[in-house]
Amino acid sequence: MSREPERVRYPARIVVGIAVAILLCLWGVFQSYAFESEYQRQSPDPYQISAQFMRLAPVLSTLPENTVLGYVTDAEAGSTSDSALLASAEYVLAPRLLTRGTNHDWVLGNFTRPADFAAFGKSLGLRMQQDCGNGVVLYRKEHQP
Amino acid sequence: MTGLIWVFEAVLLGCLLVYRWTDLRSLRPAWAAWLLIFGAGAAGGVGLTSCVFFVVGVLLGSHVAALVLEIALLAWSAYEAFRHRARIDQFTTEVRPPVALPWIAGGLLLALGLATAAMAIAWDLTPNGNWDAWAIWNLRAKFLASPGGFASRAWSPVLGAITHTEYPLLVSGFVGRAWADSSTLASTVPAATSYVFFLALLSLVGGGATILRGSTLGLLAALGLAATPPLLREVPAQYSDVPLASYIAGALVFALLDRPVLAGILAGFAAWTKDEGVLFLALFLAGTAVFRRRDIRAAVFGAAPVGVLVAAFKLFLSRGNGSLLSTSLPGVGHRIFDASRYATTLAAFGREFIGMASGWYHPILPLAILAVALGFERDRRRDLAFCGAVLAALLLGYFGIYILTVNDINWQLQTSLSRLLVQVWPALVLAGFLALRLPEAAAIITRTPQPKERRKARA
Repeated sequence: MSREPERVRYPARIVVGIAVAILLCLWGVFQSYAFESEYQRQSPDPYQISAQFMRLAPVLSTLPENTVLGYVTDAEAGSTSDSALLASAEYVLAPRLLTRGTNHDWVLGNFTRPADFAAFGKSLGLRMQQDCGNGVVLYRKEHQP
Repeated sequence: MTGLIWVFEAVLLGCLLVYRWTDLRSLRPAWAAWLLIFGAGAAGGVGLTSCVFFVVGVLLGSHVAALVLEIALLAWSAYEAFRHRARIDQFTTEVRPPVALPWIAGGLLLALGLATAAMAIAWDLTPNGNWDAWAIWNLRAKFLASPGGFASRAWSPVLGAITHTEYPLLVSGFVGRAWADSSTLASTVPAATSYVFFLALLSLVGGGATILRGSTLGLLAALGLAATPPLLREVPAQYSDVPLASYIAGALVFALLDRPVLAGILAGFAAWTKDEGVLFLALFLAGTAVFRRRDIRAAVFGAAPVGVLVAAFKLFLSRGNGSLLSTSLPGVGHRIFDASRYATTLAAFGREFIGMASGWYHPILPLAILAVALGFERDRRRDLAFCGAVLAALLLGYFGIYILTVNDINWQLQTSLSRLLVQVWPALVLAGFLALRLPEAAAIITRTPQPKERRKARA
């Protein structure tokens, strides 16, 4: 027995609804693309994490991985800049561990502007071991050889 | 590049295990079954290898043993999958032909291409991801990957509050594993991990909705998700919110497909991803106990292994590190009765929901238009009640945490609420599409008479 071929069509309301939904989604993803690409080009790597790897490279090559370092900075305590400097240094230097303060033999100075870093350290009982440039300074406690 | 091999290996392992040990391949249409196998395999493979690495590589202290175990599992599952391979009919005739399927599929591919292109710009210009990526997830991955026995630093209280050392370790463990196995710290690994979860999420929602509600609605659900601006922003951020969104949506999909063990496994992985996932696991099991009672044992069975790992981590390893909830206990009575906190939080929820838009496009628009065009189905109330109850309770839980938190509420809302919505949005989209009436049900069928009959009619 031969079956009669069926012709299937859909109400215009449904076809139009689906078509509009597809076009809207495409418009949405295009909008996202335009916004995100513009945003990324305007503010790439907003906390300059890639640059921190270069900035802290001398510390990476100086200190072994098991080191626990103290940490001092001139950034305003509790500010976004303070948190960003510490967190990015922790990320770059891991698995070395950073703790705020000067209670360790090695202390990392992470500065936002030029200053007399040796005098800054001396006031905290630290001796400047290495000025790595770009505001990065390695200190040791005064009693260390 | 070698780091990516280990990302791919985890996905492959997961897919082989799902293919061999579940009956997902029996679902129809076959392409949707493959999407589910990929989605569950990718999300599950990442979760499984992360757990193996954490238990064997970190806690037992042998990265090599973890690697050997993984490779052995891969070889065995490949052999098993080959032995039990089955021919799958690629094309099955649906009762009614789907509406505009090639157009929706084409739109989805185009959307995926555009979304990936936008992400590629972010990967290129911000390779280390956004704040939480390098301050929390990838930082802890570096500790876990380090060969010198410094893994415990990943949950050391010395790291301080901003590193959230009490958070679970699925994403960090997975990234750390790929870094350790490849002996590199390539930023491509966390970026690829995030992208794998994005693809898994689309596959789980698209494949699941297709099997539950037909090809048209399934692909439209995936397209709607692929065009969700905040979701697309979160992928290159390399946070744990997209992975958590995948596990939440996946657990609900498999619960609705009557695969409670798989649903429980994914809900367990959600708990190992973020603290919000622990809340989801509890609510998911409670929802299953209420709405799908016969599945509860199997769901608990699936969730138990990773649930035990999460509990052990919280109780023994990270015990000294206060969670958001525990640190918020002092003064909680005062905050609970502060009406302004409720108003602030409610306003922020509304603002963030509106803020999901990009330009004038809001991801609710396609769903709203389809709701107008198609209307709502009435025979899926139980499924909807299950999804709706779990997701509503989850959102209520998030709301409650903002009320209780000791942190500045405005700061907390500004820095986290948009991401919490990203975690829940894909599951909400799934629930929304489940509620829609099938477009195929409105098909108008006319029979075309055969030439012989036409002649007869003319005579």
